[in-house]
Amino acid sequence: MKHPLVLVLAAVVLLPLVVRPAIATEIWIFAIFGLGLNLLLGYTGLLSFGQATFFGSAAYVAGYLLKHYGIGVFSALGVGIGVGALSALLVGYLCVQRSGLYFIMLTFALNQLFYFIAYQWTSVTGGEDGMPGIPRPPILAIDFRSPVAYYVLVSALFLLSLWVMKRVVESPLGRILQAIRENEVRAEAVGYNAPRFKLLAFVIGGAFSGFAGVLYAMLFGIVPLESIGFVFSGNVVFATLIGGSGSLYGPIIGSVVFIWLSESMSVVWARWPLLLGVAFVIVVLFLRGGVVEAFSRIWRFSKRTT
Amino acid sequence: MTLLLGQILNGIATGMLYALMGLGLSLITGVLNIPNFAHGALFAIGAYFLVSVVGLLGNFWLGLMVAPLGVALLGLAIEWAGVRRLYSAGHDYQLLFTFGLALILNELIIVIWGPVGISHLPPALLRGGMDLGFTFYPKYRLFVMLMAGLLVVATWLFLEKTRYGAIMRAGIENKEMVSLLGIDIHRLFTAAFALGAYLAGIAGALTAPIRGLSPGMGVDMLGIAFVVVALGGLGNLLGAIAAGLLIGIAQAVVAAYWTEASTAVIFAVMAAVLLVRPQGLFGIR
Repeated sequence: MKHPLVLVLAAVVLLPLVVRPAIATEIWIFAIFGLGLNLLLGYTGLLSFGQATFFGSAAYVAGYLLKHYGIGVFSALGVGIGVGALSALLVGYLCVQRSGLYFIMLTFALNQLFYFIAYQWTSVTGGEDGMPGIPRPPILAIDFRSPVAYYVLVSALFLLSLWVMKRVVESPLGRILQAIRENEVRAEAVGYNAPRFKLLAFVIGGAFSGFAGVLYAMLFGIVPLESIGFVFSGNVVFATLIGGSGSLYGPIIGSVVFIWLSESMSVVWARWPLLLGVAFVIVVLFLRGGVVEAFSRIWRFSKRTT
Repeated sequence: MTLLLGQILNGIATGMLYALMGLGLSLITGVLNIPNFAHGALFAIGAYFLVSVVGLLGNFWLGLMVAPLGVALLGLAIEWAGVRRLYSAGHDYQLLFTFGLALILNELIIVIWGPVGISHLPPALLRGGMDLGFTFYPKYRLFVMLMAGLLVVATWLFLEKTRYGAIMRAGIENKEMVSLLGIDIHRLFTAAFALGAYLAGIAGALTAPIRGLSPGMGVDMLGIAFVVVALGGLGNLLGAIAAGLLIGIAQAVVAAYWTEASTAVIFAVMAAVLLVRPQGLFGIR
């Protein structure tokens, strides 16, 4: 099982040679976001359609403190983790008591609650215009304003996040979550309090989302309103699914594909969400199982024709 | 006091529209067991169809008849071409499919009707207001209350008093049993999707003269429809009405005193109710 890690390391080194550093940075930030979602989606079997709630809340709070109180990078990231976890605790508390379709709809509806607060509280969040002017403070006299320096920081933090998540899913906690995914009734019967463990998964996932949100705000120097919107929640679900939610590395592959595609499509056509929608539909109808599955199908097909 | 009463009336009118949305979503979600993230888009399409039909034929009543039927046809096509192939897939893929559809429909609205909001006048017969004794109230909103009420009653009669309605309710309760009894479950699914789409379409058409149209109207309504279903329960008609009226009135009353919070309050009310009653208003399923 050493191979995937080697591949990830190679990708971290090679990616900025292929795409602009800003996009490469965004890819790893999105991958951290995806790692958090996948703890819920892949490991616990909870389809949360409201991950932007935690991502955006953390970005706004940490962004506000960075902008107005001049806190440092690590304090901002700490605040982001805290806000992400706390907002996930609040949302999760209401959601884990319901299951199936209700659960999905509740995560979306509560996402809307946070979105409309951010949308209307213009004096703090800037409403539709977003919250601009987020600085990227230096750490120990190292200037992170250069895109390459920030890329190095973010990719290091991404590798740290991956290591932490690997530890989480391989811990007894990770096993319990998978047991709940496989058979909730049985997990309860063995003595595990399923709602409490689901809530814990929510909080950990929220912390990862918040962490990613703060990095995102510092990357673009702004907290856009979209960062707390449902499209963001949908994007991370899509990225995770195309990468394959079955493995730890799925969301990473998904983020590379998704961010690279969306960044190259959005400059071509202002109506690119239309293409995104078409892509969702095509993937679901014809390419279920994700990119890996798609490649193996193409592989089989080309072998058959030659 | 007059202001408050007027706002409560407004809340009843929008609340009935919310109930229609929740009812349609509840049929689709309950019978087909899929999360329908395109429900808001169907609502928006209903409103835009109305404007186009009225523009083409110059008659509001024809528009109100034709536009929702167009949405029902669209629903039929969506179920037949896509949703049908996903019954055995997980909720995650069903969600992505309907979410992708919502994105497509939303972008098509922008491409066809433009990104800027459109206002639409009620028909001449329903313009102006009516003196209700305690307040002067717009006729069109009274009409919306009446219409939405009639639609809810018609849906209730259909579900409770007809054979097909009974099959549909049975489909919500236990799909396997229904198909074991020799009923074509796929036709039932198609019919439920079309009926749900019809209700979303007519709610959209009725909304157009009240709030005007904008490409974002679908998404806003999607969240509200989810709230109605989460509070009212799947396939629960009374639940949908109670939840729709609750959030409609709460929104209208808050709007009178604190306009900025009027949308957020819908979701805050839901959170508050779920805090006290995690199983929703009536706690069914």
